[in-house]
Amino acid sequence: MTASEVSYNRKIISEDLSNVEFDTSEDVEVIPTFDSMGLRDELLRGIYTYGFEKPSAIQQRSILPIVKGRDVIAQAQSGTGKTATFSISILQSLDTTLRETQVLILSPTRELATQIQKVILALGDFMNVQCHACIGGTNLGEDIRKLDYGQHVVSGTPGRVFDMIRRRVLRTRSIKMLVLDEADEMLNKGFKEQIYDVYRYLPPATQVVLISATLPHEILEMTSKFMTDPIRILVKRDELTLEGIKQFFVAVEREEWKFDTLCDLYDTLTITQAVIFCNTKRKVDWLTQKMQEANFTVSSMHGDMPQKERDNIMKEFRSGQSRVLITTDVWARGIDVQQVSLVINYDLPNNRELYIHRIGRSGRFGRKGVAINFVKSDDIRILRDIEQYYSTQIDEMPMNVADLI
Amino acid sequence: MNGQNSKEIFFDKSILLSLKAELLKKKEEALEKKHLPQHNVQNFKPSVSEKKNKSEANKTSLKDKLKVIDTDELEACRKSKAALEKKAELYEHLADSVGDSKLAGQFLVDFKGKKQENIQHPKQDEAEEKEDVFHEENESEWIEFTDFLGRTRKCLKSDLDYYQRRDQELKKIVTNESNDDKSDTTEQSSKEVEKPLLVQKTNDYLQSLREKWEEKERELLAKEKDIHYQDLLFDEARIHGVGYYSFSTDETERKKQMEELIKTRQETLKAQEQAEKLRKERDDMIAARVAAARARQRMRAGLPPEDPEEKKKDFTTCLLQFLTQQKDEADKKAKEEEEKAKKEREEERQKFREAYIREWDVGKDGVQGNVKKFREMSQEEYVEQQRSKRINEFAPPQTSTSEKSTYTFSKEGRKIDSDNKTKSWSEVRPVKTPPPPNISDITDDTNKGLYFTTKKPETVVKYKNFIKATEPTPIVNELSDDEDVQRQPESKFNGNKAEIAPPPTYEYYGPEAKYRKTDKPFKSDIREAMEQGTKSLETKESNRKIGKHYDFTFD
Repeated sequence: MTASEVSYNRKIISEDLSNVEFDTSEDVEVIPTFDSMGLRDELLRGIYTYGFEKPSAIQQRSILPIVKGRDVIAQAQSGTGKTATFSISILQSLDTTLRETQVLILSPTRELATQIQKVILALGDFMNVQCHACIGGTNLGEDIRKLDYGQHVVSGTPGRVFDMIRRRVLRTRSIKMLVLDEADEMLNKGFKEQIYDVYRYLPPATQVVLISATLPHEILEMTSKFMTDPIRILVKRDELTLEGIKQFFVAVEREEWKFDTLCDLYDTLTITQAVIFCNTKRKVDWLTQKMQEANFTVSSMHGDMPQKERDNIMKEFRSGQSRVLITTDVWARGIDVQQVSLVINYDLPNNRELYIHRIGRSGRFGRKGVAINFVKSDDIRILRDIEQYYSTQIDEMPMNVADLI
Repeated sequence: MNGQNSKEIFFDKSILLSLKAELLKKKEEALEKKHLPQHNVQNFKPSVSEKKNKSEANKTSLKDKLKVIDTDELEACRKSKAALEKKAELYEHLADSVGDSKLAGQFLVDFKGKKQENIQHPKQDEAEEKEDVFHEENESEWIEFTDFLGRTRKCLKSDLDYYQRRDQELKKIVTNESNDDKSDTTEQSSKEVEKPLLVQKTNDYLQSLREKWEEKERELLAKEKDIHYQDLLFDEARIHGVGYYSFSTDETERKKQMEELIKTRQETLKAQEQAEKLRKERDDMIAARVAAARARQRMRAGLPPEDPEEKKKDFTTCLLQFLTQQKDEADKKAKEEEEKAKKEREEERQKFREAYIREWDVGKDGVQGNVKKFREMSQEEYVEQQRSKRINEFAPPQTSTSEKSTYTFSKEGRKIDSDNKTKSWSEVRPVKTPPPPNISDITDDTNKGLYFTTKKPETVVKYKNFIKATEPTPIVNELSDDEDVQRQPESKFNGNKAEIAPPPTYEYYGPEAKYRKTDKPFKSDIREAMEQGTKSLETKESNRKIGKHYDFTFD
């Protein structure tokens, strides 16, 4: 998303928004360096030590409006620093002397909430910020204790956060900003009610920030219900796939052949780290078992596992101890492991958005990535549809795929 | 548990006796049961042939053809192993917590007694086992069946029913316990046992890591102080920036490190400052020396000191400076004005934002209830609202809203016309002159009368209307400031003539024409022109000033 490619348009206010095309707001300032953003010194230090040098397109555009207190809807390609965008903005607008929850971040999975907590703490390492991950599957008492200790920022999943608010452990009085990461998922049918419940406890006219790589039209339509004249920073869908992530497919005649293909690819998988996506938990279990029977080292993770086990698997994968992870869409959004360079869609995802998120697990922050889709003959149509929708290119997998990783 | 029991026994001897008798009876019964071969571990045999997965027969890749037999056998072995593991776990659980386990009551085996017995007579068991083999050989009415854990078991034909029932019960218990899908019990339950096992077996290092992390997590929970990034890192393989410094997870140590870091940073800053100062001093010194040298040279050559010449040079640079300054000032002024306009717009929007009530906020403290705060609408908004209420069939023919009219938009940015942002005179003008008429159209038009169509209009313009459109006067009137006054009678006039289809000029005079007022191109152009005029005047003035300055310095 370069400045020239973004066409600026004025907003249309009207009752029926289904025919309206949402576009990036006009007069969005582009700030080319972190230094010129007027951030506090300690925060700048945190940014540089974390590894950021120059702000990405989304960071150049969204940080300032969020800091200014405007409602912002920000969209950017996967792995281009969206989490850091709102984290930096949050840290800039915090009052660390006030030991109360000032910002609430909600995300769809526990792993993502934990990851966001980590990013906030990393970027704010020099400014003594306290951030708590308020997620399900953990000890309630501990949660209460941590919240009572006083947290500037709370990053959590809607269920537990709502629980904490209702128990009056998480006091919302000082909350001035609500961030919905993976906003389209959060405002989807499953989560919307929960978000509404949490929102009802926040002070009126709280600043709201929506962030995601995919923002379907129907999501943008409903934003006026809880946002005030938001600034939009959007990406056209034909610019949503990253150049750095090469996409391929392997055509198989029958479902059983997928397993053989995967075994053949195993050496390629372990070059760095790889994530294999299946559509159901049962299939994850099945595939893991089968791979292990064939003496391949793999680990697996899905939502039916106990949280302790999920945590351990995450740590192992993050530390590089395990290199191949078989998982469901619980891993599709937001999770950032730098060394992942290969994503395999053992099953094609159930919708187009998920495709973007899944392949976005590789190619983090400018790194190279490869996505391989296993398609049965009747799946090819779906893949072509995805290809066309995002104006991208998905070729047959070449023999030298290992060279691309 | 044991202690409690022994106390009880100690107190009541008659009970103890009867209990002992009962126990002996049960023990004997149990021993008899034990003679049945299906309880004998040695007789266990994994079923290889039955468990073959049909889907695996379809394997095609070379790699797997080689493996196919191997993996089948492996799978069977693994499954039975898993089942055994599960069983062992269950037994262990029962043996460990005989009293408080709910499960204990459901089994005939007295685990507690067994445990104690094991300690007392380990050798006896061995002897029994030998007997078992003998038993098996002797009997003839044996039947084989496979239980739900995948084991092949043998029993007397007459006992088959009983064992199958027990098998069902066990199945129920196990499935309830592991809380799994009923449809998928075998796979799930075997997996649960197998997984930690596999991890343990394949990677001791990993296990130690896990323990380490767990330890860390426990520490973290116990920690009453702040939590930092390093506490949560858990050996993550992440590349940080060059300036990354891994602080200690110990709070006091961390503080020390932080102080140290700040101190070094300040020192660096100071050093940088000093270096800069030194460099400047040196530069100054060199410049002074060079100047002195030149002065000496000039003295030797018998020339006067170079001051006046320098002054002359000063003058030209001064002039240049002055000119650029003037230019800068003008630029600045323009920019300021722009900013001011922007600020005004922003303020207006801010007001709008403050007045806005979100749907999800309604009913919260401090937010007016269900009744939305009354807000006076502007004329445009009112018209817009009325229009949206209007039944489409009563709308003026679409010609009035086609093409050209779409470029009208309000100050708020109600409508978009991307190429219309900054129009100059020449660009705006041709739009006003209507296109050449398509006279052939008039034949269609004769029978229309009151008939209004909602059909999308073609590009052709009706002849009748065209004549009105060509009247030049309204266009001239558009320019004047008091267009409002002019418009009102015009629109009334149009209203009177509503029986015939409104002419395309309706767009100029109709309510929508109000937008035209806020349609920036004209005004801004005038302002621009004025600005340019004043600027040129200013520069003229300043030119004169330069003259003065010039004279002054020369004198």
